[in-house]
Amino acid sequence: MSLTYLDAICEAQAHALRDDPRVFIYGQDVGAFGGAFKATKNLAKDFPGRVIDSPISEDAMVGLAVGAAIEGMRPIIEMQFADFSTVGFNQIVNQAATLFWRTNISCPITVRLPFGGTSGGGPFHSQSLETIYAHYPGLIVLTPATVEDAYSMLLEAVAIDDPVIFCEHKFLYRHLKAEKLPSEALPIGKARIAREGRDLTIVAYSAMVQDALEAAGELATEGWEVEVVDLRSVKPLDTDTVMASVARTGKLLAVGESWPWGGVTAEVIARVTSEGYGLLDAPPQRLNAKDTPVPYHPNLWAAHRPTVRSIGAAARKILRH
Amino acid sequence: MPLVPIIMPQLGESIAEARIVTFLIPPGGTVEADQDLIEVETDKATMTVASPCKGRIEKFTAQLDESYAVGATLGHIEATKEEVARLGLDVPAANKSSDTEHASKSGINSGKSRVQPTIRGLPVPANAAGASYLSPRLKARMDELGLHAADLAGVAGSGAAGRVTVEDFEKYITSLEKHKMSAASSMRVAVADAMRRSWTRPLATVGLPVPLDAVLAHRKSSNPRPGPALYALRALAIALSENSAVAGRLVGNKIIHPSSIDVGFAVEADDGVLVPVIRNADKKPLKDLTQRYNELVELARQRKLPPDATGGSIATVTNFGTFGLIWATPIPLPEQTLVLGMGAGRRMPHWDEAKGQFVPVMEAYLTLSFDHRVLDGGAAGRLLQRIGELIKQPEKL
Amino acid sequence: MLQTVSEPRGGQVEAVPEAHLLAYRFMLRARLLDEKFAALYRAGKIHGGVFLGRGQEALSAALGINLTKSDVFAPLIRDGAGRLAFGETIVDAVRTYMGSSLGPMRGRDGNVHRGNPQAGYLPMISHLGAMVSVVNGVLFARRMKGITGIVGATCLGDGATSTGAFHEALNQAAVEKLPLILVVADNQYAYSTPTSRQFACESLADRAAGYGIAGHSVDGTDLTACLKTVGMAVASARAGKGPQLVVAKLLRLCGHGEHDDASYIDPKYKTSALGRDCLKVAEEKILQQKWTDAAQIAVWRSEAIREIEEAVAQVQREPAPDPFAEEWTALSTKRLIEGNA
Repeated sequence: MSLTYLDAICEAQAHALRDDPRVFIYGQDVGAFGGAFKATKNLAKDFPGRVIDSPISEDAMVGLAVGAAIEGMRPIIEMQFADFSTVGFNQIVNQAATLFWRTNISCPITVRLPFGGTSGGGPFHSQSLETIYAHYPGLIVLTPATVEDAYSMLLEAVAIDDPVIFCEHKFLYRHLKAEKLPSEALPIGKARIAREGRDLTIVAYSAMVQDALEAAGELATEGWEVEVVDLRSVKPLDTDTVMASVARTGKLLAVGESWPWGGVTAEVIARVTSEGYGLLDAPPQRLNAKDTPVPYHPNLWAAHRPTVRSIGAAARKILRH
Repeated sequence: MPLVPIIMPQLGESIAEARIVTFLIPPGGTVEADQDLIEVETDKATMTVASPCKGRIEKFTAQLDESYAVGATLGHIEATKEEVARLGLDVPAANKSSDTEHASKSGINSGKSRVQPTIRGLPVPANAAGASYLSPRLKARMDELGLHAADLAGVAGSGAAGRVTVEDFEKYITSLEKHKMSAASSMRVAVADAMRRSWTRPLATVGLPVPLDAVLAHRKSSNPRPGPALYALRALAIALSENSAVAGRLVGNKIIHPSSIDVGFAVEADDGVLVPVIRNADKKPLKDLTQRYNELVELARQRKLPPDATGGSIATVTNFGTFGLIWATPIPLPEQTLVLGMGAGRRMPHWDEAKGQFVPVMEAYLTLSFDHRVLDGGAAGRLLQRIGELIKQPEKL
Repeated sequence: MLQTVSEPRGGQVEAVPEAHLLAYRFMLRARLLDEKFAALYRAGKIHGGVFLGRGQEALSAALGINLTKSDVFAPLIRDGAGRLAFGETIVDAVRTYMGSSLGPMRGRDGNVHRGNPQAGYLPMISHLGAMVSVVNGVLFARRMKGITGIVGATCLGDGATSTGAFHEALNQAAVEKLPLILVVADNQYAYSTPTSRQFACESLADRAAGYGIAGHSVDGTDLTACLKTVGMAVASARAGKGPQLVVAKLLRLCGHGEHDDASYIDPKYKTSALGRDCLKVAEEKILQQKWTDAAQIAVWRSEAIREIEEAVAQVQREPAPDPFAEEWTALSTKRLIEGNA
């Protein structure tokens, strides 16, 4: 048996629906159709009345989820594309994220964001928005990079009492496969050493972990031992694991698919630089998408986001410093 | 006739592959552009693959019920050159590449610079040799071991611009372990630190031979007998009382003037040097200072200097002549601008114009090392000349 | 006596004199509480803003007394009367304005942003129209849980009807046939913007048809009319007839907040029927109908004033939030707070 990242997400939701009567799924086309990406395939049939089509109303979708959460439910909202979550942004950051702080009532909603570039997606079907959600207090922002994490982290996300932004990478949906679903997992909030090394730490998350691993493989043929840290969750950010890795290597490259201004890579570098200045044997570097909307044509698209090649090139510069 | 590939299209956002359900047209059949050729199925939907052009299906390379990745070639259509040209399918394959590095070599972008990764260089803020740049980690590691930049003088860096990397450093530290090691005394470490700090300034030295016969004669007739360095000390103090600005310190864009002429003198003690101070050395004649000077020498050797006899001096005298040396370039204390050195006395032939012959004269070199930021060679030279004149008349000291 | 009034009545109030008197007493208490807040603001005791419900008490109270404890209520800034009628205590209102650590918002949020979600009393956020879908969500979840016979009510001004959130949520409620009562106080101005710059339809109630829901119009200055129309809307929603849009015409008899002198309000409104003070209208009706006498009203007034003053005095003595004792996290899951892992 071989399971894709997408299968893992579908399975995790089935598991959550099965185990917890408080769980329901609400989103555009998620019902009988099974979702734009088929992430809820068969779920409406298997869980009647609990996988519900919404109008094209991202604001009201999230608002409804918050109300249901207040009432003790654990809704999962599927945004058809992460890009469209900006229409529901107000409800996410002002309603869901502030509820516990203001009222002491927790807000256990999970908002699934199919995100990240796939070739041909263009400016409005390719965005990576983990950064803007991570900026807001009160939100948990998850970015699984493996089939196993997609499954276990989504299950944990639904169980968490705080609003979770679950960033699932569209390119990984069908390109990433595993033999079976995991029976145990690292808890959310812990980063994973995806590959060990002593010459350079590459911190990445989501699809960029896969690209970083490939780049590390290429660099190994040149004699460099590159450590790859998979953040898994960008908020909370596991500074300890990153710092321990930089303590081993003295060099840091942070890679993210989102835009360069601010963001997760900037946060990683800020933390390492301020808390671990004395660990650095080279200026820490970061690699992000270009500061333009995501382009449509495959040539432009491939040059817009970090690639195995550009990660390798950035890594070599640091390694030769 | 050109063969045009039939490509597995991207059937939706995130779709990676699709399964061949049926071939709608048999191989050999003729087709129009955009005509449906193959029915394929993804887990999202059943869809069709359309013909890229008008022509004859040369063959299908894809197999029924097999899955093929997006972009895979499923077969070929034989088309006329005119048809291929009409549809713009006659562009060399390289132009279609999505490879970042090659994309810019295509017609549209030719002549422009290659697509650059979004990372810029890693500047090494260093001089040409690069050796003076220490990374934060190297600095932290050196602090941990109590080392200073000077300790790396013997390490050849392998990093950018020749900088010493942490790896170079660790290798160096490991290599030291092969040697015999002994702990440096705290006095040694303190002197090293003072010298390192002083050496951050541009230091220069001037020298002047002075006759010593008068000093020696004066010394012989005195009781108690002043040490030779005390004559130099007193001469320096008088000269500075005439113009104390030259002993000032430069801090930022200000000269900090001395408030009193307190002059120190170097005394060798076990594994180091102590500098007792004579306060207001310009105010008391030599004979009144001799007793105190001798006491301080003794206390310094026992390393029992009282607090009021250390620190705060504006210049120092060192008598390196006691080691038989005739010339040296002593380094001023880090908080001082001047150090006056005194070499060993030697009998030297001097031409006596009146006698028309060489005569033996007892002579020693005075050296003055100074912070070149505060004064120049001319000012240092004038100060040293003045000290030389004063020493020629020891009875006035 | 006071406790009786503080207790939410619940259910549709049929008997006119009783309903009128009950609603009037909440209106009176709300008006007096508002006046106290305005005074405290001018005395520098309240930080931030003070937002009054002057002119809107009849509409708000009519809604409040038609809700039960099991219902859901998401009031807006001018719903002091409705809040009291739904069961909010004066002391909690004062605590929120004064930022007391013992208040429901514990000094983390203030003034009109107060509520108790577990009791179905939702604290508004400032973004207009945003509470409608949240009420939908509570109703949606209760229906999933098999709870019936309850309704959810929320209030908006005319300005909020221009938001996308309003449209999305009202449409959502209509699609889901939720028992939602959406009460719009068309008070002629959104801050300083007159309704002519806000919408172009004849009446906002006309919009109901576009959503496929019931729409009702009412004179918001007339308590009797409000009780009748709002009562009917609540009863319809409770009976499963889907969302109800109630649009009341009235005039805001104050500025947007106490920082605003409302100089932009067209004087013609003040002398028109819209500019009537609903409290005065309700009181005249009571006296004219002889449901009670002026002496009794004077007693109610002095009782309310005493309760308000006691509440203010109590809250002034309560501890302010302590930044050193504050738990500086927005997460309820303690193990996910950075540094705790």
